Amino acid sequence: MGGFLLRKAGAALVVVFCASVLVFVGVRALPGDPAIALSGESNDPAVLAAVRHEYGLDRPLPVQYAKWVWRALQGNLGLDDRRLPVAHTIVSRIPISLELALLSVLVGMVIGIPAGVIAAVRRGKPSDHAATTFALVGLSLPHFWLGLLMIIVFAVDLHWLPSGGYVSFGAHPISNLEHMAMPAIVLGTGLSAVLMRQMRSSMLTSLGADYVRTARAKGLSEWSVVCKHAFRNSLITVTTVVGLQLGALISGVVITEVIFVIPGFGHLTIDAITARDYTTIQGVVLVTATGYVLVNLLVDVVYSLLNPRIRVSGGSA
Amino acid sequence: MTRSLGRRTPLVLALVALAALVATAVAAARANAPSAPAIRNGGTLTIGLAEEPDALDPTLARTFVGRMVFLATCEKLYDLDSHLNIVPQLAASLPTVSKDKLTYTIKLRSGIKFNDGTPFNAAAVKESLERDLTLKGSVRASEISPIKSVSTQGSNTVVLHLSSPYSPLTAQLADRSGMVMSPKALAAEGTNFAQHPVCVGPFMFKDRVAGDHITLVKSPYYYAKNKVHFASIVYKIMTDPSARTQALKAGDIQVEDRIQATDVPSIQKDKNFQTIKSVTIGYQGLTLNIGNKSGVGKPYSNVGTPIAKSRDVRAAFEDALDRTTINKVVFGGLNQPGCFPIAPSSAWFSAVTKGLPCNLHANDAAAKQLIKASGIPTPITVHLLLGGTDPVNARLGQVIQAMEKQVGINVSIEATDFTTSLNRGTSGQFDTYAVGWSGRVDPDGNIYSFVATPGTLNYSGYSNPRLDYILNGARKSLTTKSRDTLYHAALQVISTDKPLIYLYYPVDYFGVSKKVTGVQAYGDGLIRAQFAGYVK
Repeated sequence: MGGFLLRKAGAALVVVFCASVLVFVGVRALPGDPAIALSGESNDPAVLAAVRHEYGLDRPLPVQYAKWVWRALQGNLGLDDRRLPVAHTIVSRIPISLELALLSVLVGMVIGIPAGVIAAVRRGKPSDHAATTFALVGLSLPHFWLGLLMIIVFAVDLHWLPSGGYVSFGAHPISNLEHMAMPAIVLGTGLSAVLMRQMRSSMLTSLGADYVRTARAKGLSEWSVVCKHAFRNSLITVTTVVGLQLGALISGVVITEVIFVIPGFGHLTIDAITARDYTTIQGVVLVTATGYVLVNLLVDVVYSLLNPRIRVSGGSA
Repeated sequence: MTRSLGRRTPLVLALVALAALVATAVAAARANAPSAPAIRNGGTLTIGLAEEPDALDPTLARTFVGRMVFLATCEKLYDLDSHLNIVPQLAASLPTVSKDKLTYTIKLRSGIKFNDGTPFNAAAVKESLERDLTLKGSVRASEISPIKSVSTQGSNTVVLHLSSPYSPLTAQLADRSGMVMSPKALAAEGTNFAQHPVCVGPFMFKDRVAGDHITLVKSPYYYAKNKVHFASIVYKIMTDPSARTQALKAGDIQVEDRIQATDVPSIQKDKNFQTIKSVTIGYQGLTLNIGNKSGVGKPYSNVGTPIAKSRDVRAAFEDALDRTTINKVVFGGLNQPGCFPIAPSSAWFSAVTKGLPCNLHANDAAAKQLIKASGIPTPITVHLLLGGTDPVNARLGQVIQAMEKQVGINVSIEATDFTTSLNRGTSGQFDTYAVGWSGRVDPDGNIYSFVATPGTLNYSGYSNPRLDYILNGARKSLTTKSRDTLYHAALQVISTDKPLIYLYYPVDYFGVSKKVTGVQAYGDGLIRAQFAGYVK
């Protein structure tokens, strides 16, 4: 087990190193001198030189990289162009995007799973067609369009919900949910369509399975057959899809965050790229890569604990 | 004596009666005039900013939008009035200038406190100016570089010693160079002053969440706190213009910074909002690359393109442009077409531009003649660099392209993001570049950097010793009349050689909820809401 963990951790370190090199070189390959972007309206050579010096841009690339990595290892990702610590900014943004992703999944599940079950149970009937049409529409609607439409209706016309912004749950729980409602519905609608299709397909498979036929032959009620037998088994596939979609949501909330002015991780990334804010871009990508690697490492460890054969095959590979 | 008085009595009585009549009429007029709405104290004003300010440190701050936040929290030695005249703010009066123009004596107001409760005095002004001059990375250093040293006379007088005469100095002190930082906060924060800025101002810094908001709260130390009504001001960063407008309509913000042109009519029609219009002191135009072969600041020599080689082609290029149509088609008529680097909202405009030609409409016949006279065969290909890939920039490029085609100039559009365009502008990788300037109060700030040989924003690579001589003379001259004459002469040179073609003066529109009163916007394009309040 120890050797297995060491091998996995070593591989994870290599991935993080490669990601750090890639992002470091990548941001420097962007067109435009960051010093010019960071110097605002001033084009004074002295200011440009000072900006380059401050951000270490006047040093050889390997020196810049080594310095950045050394600081990052100590938890210091540098100061951004507002002279605020990047690490602090990133840490404050992650929970916001995470909350939005989780709420979106919740919305997606609340709509998608019952719709999928109904569509499967009433296969070929109007409710099935309605649910399938809903799924098609949900998948086809662009997030930005639905978002703007909801803002116009619920914020501008009806004044039911705020048009955007963010209030932390700790500061004001109700206000937090009011601010998160529309973005979560926008993201959740797309997800609910995916879940509905998946649920319908899984349920149809389950409803045609032998154990369901046996349950019916035993004289169980239709409610009991659908809910206790078919539904529970169908949830396994849907749960896997929810997990995959959650990962995609965390990295895919960018447009929604911009439309609803939510200061999340995605918004931070876009702002940093637009402003050529090297320190923030590097910090954001490094944290993202490290996060993915850690989650994968955790999954590997859990798999190995659940199924020792994985550990063995890993050892022999 | 008595007789004399007796003779005058009817006249005196008549005058008294007339005065009484006038007083009654004035009182009646006042009673009938619409009075300013009563303001209630308290509440939070939320302003949706179009961009995010950079460091909230007056020495290091670089962005235009940062100045909006500073207005409420960092007062200056001098300020601007609504006509953009320089007026004292923390200074007691305008500076006294020595005969040799090398010494500026500034008397300060007394009894003022910083927002940490420490006293504002000459020593604090000296420390801030010295920090501006010496701190590594200071953006202010070049703005006030002629200051050789700063000394104090007592606690309320500062003396600036200059190495050479520099007439734009007072205007610089009416901007970030004139902001005075608390010495106590500087000692505590050092280069991290931006994280907890402390100055003199109606509001004091509370917190900042990067990319989201900046919160200011009413200062208990402010010298005129009775004029301050809001309990706090929140600056929300809302870079998406549609989201900003929707937030205003939804009531999430009360003031919208710079409404995009397409949204202006809908805000104007809505009875819940008013729009405040401000013709800025900046300009938008086209920079023509004449001599920028290898970068700004490097020796300039003609780049050899038709537009660089021939003054006639440059003149033809301008003649083909219809500024009125550009404004109408691209901006829905919301901006103000013009031909000079100084905007009509500037106090200098009338005197400096008097008698100078400005054709707002195209003259294709003249343009064709000029091209013929240049001897360059048509079609002449000219590349146009656009600093943005948004629809408005695209429309601007297409309209210019269509206009130039009429006179035999084939415009090839190159649209790129703003940062890349700045890079290409600086390194000289363009023929013509659509770029503007936010503007400065003193004409020097709108002209020198762009067309003087040592100008740091001289993308054109233009070098004309005569113009340099005129502009340097204007920097040294202190009388308004002589500076008027010199800038008039400078504009004549620019108009003849055309390193830049000025197209229009941007007009900013701010959306304000009618629940709020007292919000102002001057020609400098900044929202002034620090003394506004909610209507009772």
